[in-house]
Parts: sequence; C-alpha cells; structure tokens
Amino acid sequence: MEKNIHAATDQDEPIIIAEHLVKIFPGSVPALNDFSVQVKRGEVLVVVGPSGSGKSTFLRCLNGLEMIDSGRIVIDSIPLDANEKNRLAIRREVGMVFQSFNLFPHLSVLENVNLAQCLVRSKSKKEATRATEELLAKVGLSDKIGGYPDELSGGQQQRVAIARALALRPKVMLFDEATSALDPEMIGEVLDVMRTLAEEGMTMVVVTHEMGFAREVSDRVVFMEAGRIVEAAATRQFFLHPAQERTRDFLRQIL
Amino acid sequence: MSLRFPSFSSIRDSSLFVLTLAGVGWLVLRGGEQLGYNWHWRQIPRYLFTYTDGQFIPGPLLQGLMVTLEITAVSLVFAACIGLVTALLRLSNSTVGRWLARVYLEVIRNTPLLVQIFFLYFVMAPIFDIGRTATAILALSLFEGAYASEIFRAGIQSIHRGQWEASHSLGLSRYQAYRWIILPQAVRRILPPLTSQAVSLIKDSALVSTIAVYDLTMAGRVIIAETFLTFELWFTVAAIYLLLTLTLSALANALERRFPRIT
Repeated sequence: MEKNIHAATDQDEPIIIAEHLVKIFPGSVPALNDFSVQVKRGEVLVVVGPSGSGKSTFLRCLNGLEMIDSGRIVIDSIPLDANEKNRLAIRREVGMVFQSFNLFPHLSVLENVNLAQCLVRSKSKKEATRATEELLAKVGLSDKIGGYPDELSGGQQQRVAIARALALRPKVMLFDEATSALDPEMIGEVLDVMRTLAEEGMTMVVVTHEMGFAREVSDRVVFMEAGRIVEAAATRQFFLHPAQERTRDFLRQIL
Repeated sequence: MSLRFPSFSSIRDSSLFVLTLAGVGWLVLRGGEQLGYNWHWRQIPRYLFTYTDGQFIPGPLLQGLMVTLEITAVSLVFAACIGLVTALLRLSNSTVGRWLARVYLEVIRNTPLLVQIFFLYFVMAPIFDIGRTATAILALSLFEGAYASEIFRAGIQSIHRGQWEASHSLGLSRYQAYRWIILPQAVRRILPPLTSQAVSLIKDSALVSTIAVYDLTMAGRVIIAETFLTFELWFTVAAIYLLLTLTLSALANALERRFPRIT
C-alpha cells in the first residue's frame, strides 16, 4: 500500500536505479566495473558496446538472473537483494526477452503466454486466455494461438516471447539482443513490436546492435566497454555529437 | 525400390541370424544328448497352469510371476520417487541435501545388491520388524533408485539453461519451474534410459529369491528341487523373464510416441 502511494506521487523518481554495480565472473575480467545508470519511467534506454563489454550482464543483473557482487539495484522502489521475496517481486514487474527466445517447447503458444499469468498472477484460465488473445493480436500472431514453438519462424517465436513477457503487465521490459538470432528479413517484424511498445510509454532497456532502431526509438544511449560507461547521452546528441573519441571510433565502425 | 524389397544384404543378415540361432539350439540339444539328458517338456505346462473342470488354476510358475510382477511394479514406483528426490537434492542449493544424496549414491552403487538384500533382511528387518516382501521391495527400490536418480539428474541437466532463465524471468519459483517447465521436458528424454533401468529391475528382482520370497526364480528353484527338470525349467523361467522385459520395452516405445511434442 505504502509502495503504491509512493510510486503514484513520485513519477519523476527513476524506476530503475543501478549504482556502483560490480560483477566479476570467476577467472575473468570484471563484467561490470562500478557501473551506474538510472532509467526514468517511460524512458527507452539503449545499451550499446562491443561484445563482452557487459551489456547483457547488466540486463541479467537487473532481474536477478545474475547476482551482483556489490552495488545497489532498486526497481520501482523494491531493492533487489538476497531476499527471495523481493527478487520474485521484481521479476514479476520486469519482463525479459532473450536472444534465443527461450519459449517453452512443450507448450502451445497459448500455454506459453498463459502459464505465468495463471501461476504468478493467479488468474483463471479464462481470464488469462482473454489477455493472451489480446496480446497475440497486438504482436500480429492471433492465428498461431494453437501452434507450437517449433512450428513458428524465429521472428514469430520472438514475438510470442514478447507477448509472454507482456502478459504479466510488467513495468519495465528488458531486451537482450532480441533480434541478434534472427534472419535479416525477420528483424523488422520484431523491431516493429518493440517500437509500438515504446510509443505506448513502456519503460525499456534495450541491448541491441540495431543502430537504426536505437536512433529512432530510444531516448538515451549508453555506450559501455569493459564493464564501464564510456558515454551516456540523449540519443540525438549521442549519434550527432559524441563527446568521447572511443565513442566516435565505435560509431564509425558500426555505422 | 529399396523400401519395397528387402535388399540382398538384409536377406543375408537375416539368414545369418537364423543360422546362428539354429546353431546355438543344436549345440544345446547335442550337449543335452551327450549328458544323457532326457527332455520332458510335456511336464512343464502344468507348472504354468492347469485347466480342470473348466477352471483355470495358475501353477507355481505363474504364481511366482505374479509375485515378481508385484514386487517389480511397487519397487519401480518407489525407485522413481527416490530417484527424483535424490536428483533434486543433488541439484539443490542445500549442502546437507547434496551430501546426503552423494553418500546414498556412493554406498548403493559401490556395494553388491545381494549384500544389500542380506543386510536389509538380516540386520534391518528384525530391528524395524518388516516382512520379507517388504524387505525385498525396500532393497530393490533403494538399489534402482540410486541409478534412476542419475538418469533423472542427467535428464534435468540436459534441459537448456534458457528454459530456467525464461521461467525465472517470468517470476516462477524454483518449484513452479521444475513442475511446469523443466520436468515435463526432462521426462521425455528420461523415458528410454528409465525403461532400461526398469528392465534391470525386473532382472535384479530374481535376487530376492535368496531371502525366500516366492518370486518366479524361487518357484523355478523349488520345482527343480522336486522334479530335476533343470533344463526345461530354467529355459521356461528365462523365457518368461524375456517376455516380460520385451513387453515393457514395447510399452515404453508406445508411451514415447504419445508425446511427440517434447524433444
């Protein structure tokens, strides 16, 4: 109750607060090295950087798939800590879309999207199915509701995965290279869904190599390397007037 | 073409197979002759069953088979439960749980089943006042459970990490992830090795005859002691076991075809 009042009155409070994150995988260089970033409600933040720079690790720490070694993460006023309850609560507010879709192969499309609604949100099957039908219509896959993941193309699978994540009505959506495993002709359909989401005001953190998408849709871009922020700037500024030499290098290579 | 007509090599293979079988059969017959063994196959059927006055009366072999079936079926259920729990313990975050599972596995897998049966029957059964059949079931369940747990563990671990991550990211608890996502997928992969474990269980169950449980093997031994129909009875007993295990394999195959979705 208290949390809700807090959230309602304080719209300017960042929904994601990540401070001084450190994550070290045993036997390798730090994946996150004193990494701090904040995301406002409704903001679309794109994270770019060379591979191995810690982008995915950052996303995975945000919903507790990886535990940070030190630092602080607060999402929608809930601290992400060792407390299992908080971790589950955060995961229910944060949807995640993976590079490799990770649909449940033994469940139909309907069951994939229904499952967490019934288990986590305690919805009846009927309620869940109604929401699923809406979500599938939104991602343009109403006709696939009875199908199974292995009957779908990569792009379709990823759109189902987005619908599945949205089914919990999350406050934040994380996209971990959502289009990297797709054939080129399918990237567009997934980016379109993501663009729609952004237009609807969803708070999004997007790790991507799609610079066109970043430039068009995002509000802010973070460029990271070796677990640190090299440059964080509003999107326009980032692409037109990057402050750092390293950022200019990077943009030259990929644009 | 090649689909419709058996190819030359498959005809040759089949003939070789039949020839080998015939050769082995001939050797056994010749061996029997040289021993001066008199075959009395005619006496065997009445040990299986008799049919008098229109009434079907199961003979000692069939009664023994029923005991074997009962012991095996109950042990199979228990072994599967023990196996699953042990596998989950081994994969859990609890140090105590992992160690318990490890100790159980090492002890069971590194001692002979016969010794385990004797230990339970002569040491544990008097202490806890459990009967012969119960002891037999306990011994078989514990023994096969250890192997089943390794099968479960391998099956669970073969499920891609992404399935766990997707479950977690949707806010599913560990239990919910196991129940709805991981185990349903693992079971399909586990079914074939679990079937061969069940076949082992049927065969290993013959050892409970050592503690005077009247299973199929025991029935065979008793009849042989009375009649000296050694060859005929062991052939018959072996054939019945074979029938049992082959049926089980066929059943598992049919079962597997029922879940084509999970790969």
